[in-house]
Amino acid sequence: MNGPGTAPDSGLGEETEDVRVGVYVCHCGGNISDVVDVKELAALSAEYPHVVVAKDYPFMCSDPGQALIVEDIKAHGVNRVVVASCAPALHEQTFRRALQRGGLNPYLYEHVNIREQVSWVHKADHAAATRKSLALVRAGIEKVVRQDPLEALRVSAERRVAVIGGGVAGMKAALAAAGAGLAVTLFEKGPALGGRLPELGRVFPTEDEGAALSRRMEEEVRSQPAIEVRLGAEVRRVDGFVGRFSVEAGDGPPVKAGALIVATGYDPYAPAPGEFGAGGPLTVTLPEFRAALEGLTEGPLLTWKGRPIRDLAFIHCVGSRQVEGIHAPQADGKVNDYCSRVCCTATLQTAERVLDRHPGTRVYDCYRDIRTYGRGHEAIYERAARKGTLFFRYREDAPPTLVEEGGRARLRVKDVLTWDTEVDLPVDLVVLATGMVPRDIGALADSQKLPRGADRFLQEAHPKLRPVELANNGIFLAGTAQAPMTVDEACAAAGAAASKAAQLLLPGEIQLDPFIVALKPERCDGCGACLDACSYTGSLTLSGEGPGRRVEVNPALCKGCGACVAVCPTRALDIAGWGLDQFEAMADAIAAV
Amino acid sequence: MTASATVSASAATLDVDVLVVGGGIAGLQSALEAAEQGRKVLVVERQPSIGGRMINLSKVFPTLDCASCITTPRMASAAHHPNITIRTYSELGPIRREGPRFTSTLRQKARYVDEAACIGCKRCEEACPVFVPDEYEHALGARKAIRIPFTNAIPQTAVLDMDHCTLCGLCAKACPTDCIDFLQEDAEIPVTAGAVILATGHELTSMAAKPEYGRAALPNVISPMQAERLLAPHGAYGRVLRPSDGKIPDSIAYVQCAGSRDASLGVPYCSRVCCMYAVKQAMLLSGSLPVADITIYYMDIRAFGKGYEQFVASARAMGINFVKAKVARIREDADHNPIVRIERQEAGGTVEEVRHDLVVLSLGMLPGADPEREGFAGVLRDADGFVRTPEAKLSPTLTDEPGIFVAGTAAGPKDIVDSIQDAGGAAMEALRHLRSNGLEGRP
Repeated sequence: MNGPGTAPDSGLGEETEDVRVGVYVCHCGGNISDVVDVKELAALSAEYPHVVVAKDYPFMCSDPGQALIVEDIKAHGVNRVVVASCAPALHEQTFRRALQRGGLNPYLYEHVNIREQVSWVHKADHAAATRKSLALVRAGIEKVVRQDPLEALRVSAERRVAVIGGGVAGMKAALAAAGAGLAVTLFEKGPALGGRLPELGRVFPTEDEGAALSRRMEEEVRSQPAIEVRLGAEVRRVDGFVGRFSVEAGDGPPVKAGALIVATGYDPYAPAPGEFGAGGPLTVTLPEFRAALEGLTEGPLLTWKGRPIRDLAFIHCVGSRQVEGIHAPQADGKVNDYCSRVCCTATLQTAERVLDRHPGTRVYDCYRDIRTYGRGHEAIYERAARKGTLFFRYREDAPPTLVEEGGRARLRVKDVLTWDTEVDLPVDLVVLATGMVPRDIGALADSQKLPRGADRFLQEAHPKLRPVELANNGIFLAGTAQAPMTVDEACAAAGAAASKAAQLLLPGEIQLDPFIVALKPERCDGCGACLDACSYTGSLTLSGEGPGRRVEVNPALCKGCGACVAVCPTRALDIAGWGLDQFEAMADAIAAV
Repeated sequence: MTASATVSASAATLDVDVLVVGGGIAGLQSALEAAEQGRKVLVVERQPSIGGRMINLSKVFPTLDCASCITTPRMASAAHHPNITIRTYSELGPIRREGPRFTSTLRQKARYVDEAACIGCKRCEEACPVFVPDEYEHALGARKAIRIPFTNAIPQTAVLDMDHCTLCGLCAKACPTDCIDFLQEDAEIPVTAGAVILATGHELTSMAAKPEYGRAALPNVISPMQAERLLAPHGAYGRVLRPSDGKIPDSIAYVQCAGSRDASLGVPYCSRVCCMYAVKQAMLLSGSLPVADITIYYMDIRAFGKGYEQFVASARAMGINFVKAKVARIREDADHNPIVRIERQEAGGTVEEVRHDLVVLSLGMLPGADPEREGFAGVLRDADGFVRTPEAKLSPTLTDEPGIFVAGTAAGPKDIVDSIQDAGGAAMEALRHLRSNGLEGRP
């Protein structure tokens, strides 16, 4: 067995054991088998050298599917495994664990992707898809027969999590992480905790005061000795990697943390000047209106900036659910094609509040779809309607238009509910239900290359398998940095993120894949070309003098990028588990099909 | 090598840190989150297999991953986890608080099979001569009186349905391990736990709830779960056929809000998932039946989640027909073709009757368990029947009983993504409770 930093054997030398490969072809419940002839693929794979068993199964990742592998390891002496199924990001780990249960080194495994790379992209030509699958499976076999057992790298982990953002999601994540036994540093770039929660006014559907909720949560945070709060601490830079991040923020010293929870929140959509009269005296955004509403004197008529408001209109989906070709693109050239999730209920709650406090004000609501989806939301819709809100439904390609006439405005809506009648509403004030947009978190996003989705929010690794994890190892997501959410949804997500951080850090040690550089010292002539190619200072060093000069590997710093392998003139360097001989054999196998 | 190792028939007290009630996706996820942090967890599931509703689905929105690909690995991880014990086919009795801990009794129903000896070979199932409508296929197919619940079930242990068994003994003759025991009795097992997570899930609203929609008597008006099984690759028919005559449907319609947003049904709330599952099924149908017309009758499309709006946009681009209309009534013609009477919201508000080959009622969600009737300590239900969450905003997984938490659809309709997030949150609240109440070291 080879430890990190030393070279594995080729895997096919005379001294190696009898290599016995098991190949398992997954139907993925039709995802693969509707396109690829899985029976033929298994049959042809069985004929390939070193293969002792080849099977197909509807769901390899299920318990009975995994049991097939475990049984074959025991019954047929299978000592190398190839599973042809989905992308390795989904289930490579699943099958490595199955190998472990069968008593086999988990790295004697090759995951061949015949779903994303074959069946999903070659639906039209089943024969070619099967042929391509065979080429990929044979390449996988060639790779795995040259594979040596490897041991996971172990790095010590700081039992501290850095939570970035002191809003409701950040505070909740900090409390949950501390509750699980982690130390926490909570970074907030502003001067106070709370984020946007105190500005929200009464939150639906509980009608709790946002500021009061925020205060309560801050008190809890402050009473936790395990949580260190740093205010005025905008993150400038994050270095390091899972288990050992270093966060530079504000004026304080860098903080060492084993994991990060990104809870940087959202920005409210800022309407373009002139969008539904934005910037003018007749228009206000929903967040601005809500912030002011509770401070206005109750009375028959709402009074806004000294003007009595007899007719008040809300317009939904401002800055959300935009359609290319209809809406003006954002700064990056894209439209906001997503739903902001919270604005429908927030708007109707506000409408009801206006009607309660100012029964003489008429309230109009211009919407596309009413999305009062959550628990208690539909009741708000019903109450707002019962109390007199008048609804007008517009199509995305015919949004309402605001026309000013002598200090008063008219809102023209082509109303679906009255079969496309052009309704002309007198309005004194228009409230724009602006949605959420992703926030610019430049330094943080750049220094760790955080992935964003097409909607520009931070993108989780998988919505169901890894919903609060970024693809970056050890970085988790909480709240609206990921997508629009309500306060309760952000709190649930924050708990889930803290749970992942606790699972990662509580053991004090993190296991990493051992795919780092491996040296064959007898081949190294100490030329040093690899040091020039290496981007990770300290991973490679030279020691010894004259003909005894050799390179040495620091496994804790090497990322396994392979830049050194490419420049080594004597092939003394290789990446463990991803050897040059393996790649050559894979290429040959693909070319031979 | 199945999960049977974690299931034995001992009557010794099951003493755990966290008791999870329900083995669906929310329950399994919260169990895994707690177990990965070193806590001992017991999962109690009423059905003969874990997996809940999700394992019964075809594919899931908005990624169109096959549901099994997401569910089965979690089922397997839970079954193999050294910190997790799973009891299937078991009903939990009332939960009582005793000092800082909770106690209950679970009744493990007789499977009439020695779980330790069963190897899941299905020979009993092959030998059994009794066919019964298959719950897993929502009665679109048949199962035997003794069977492995379904292909991916965990545990892979046979279960005998005594209500339909004729005691012919053929299964016992076929069994290679002699594990069938017609005299087996229910076993009662005491349970104690430091914290409880309720993940009791949901039921669907009834097909018969709205009399105007045919009282569940029209054969080609089906439930969304039946549609899932038509679309599932290993479903009832292996392809999309309509139940009455096995015809391939050319015209399929979805009736939205067929069990929700309707005070007359006692379900005034939105069930949150029906828009998206209808759109997803419509897309899958359009993939299986490229020439079929697919129509969704709706009032509001509620595509509020991450990537959902874009998912609906691609369904429109695929040619799915979205019609803003109320469905007043569904009847059928002599060939069992459903005829849907609609009032259009657009195009002059006309009233029309449209004939389809197959109609799916987009049913809503009802609570899977009533915490007050079950006697789950001080846990209360809210006016909507789901578990009440007194700290709904900041701690949405707390119930009225300190130490008992709730995850997933037990606390109201939720999609899978939100249920999974919820499960993580509930697990963290449970662990925090254990820690702050000195319940970490078990007696």
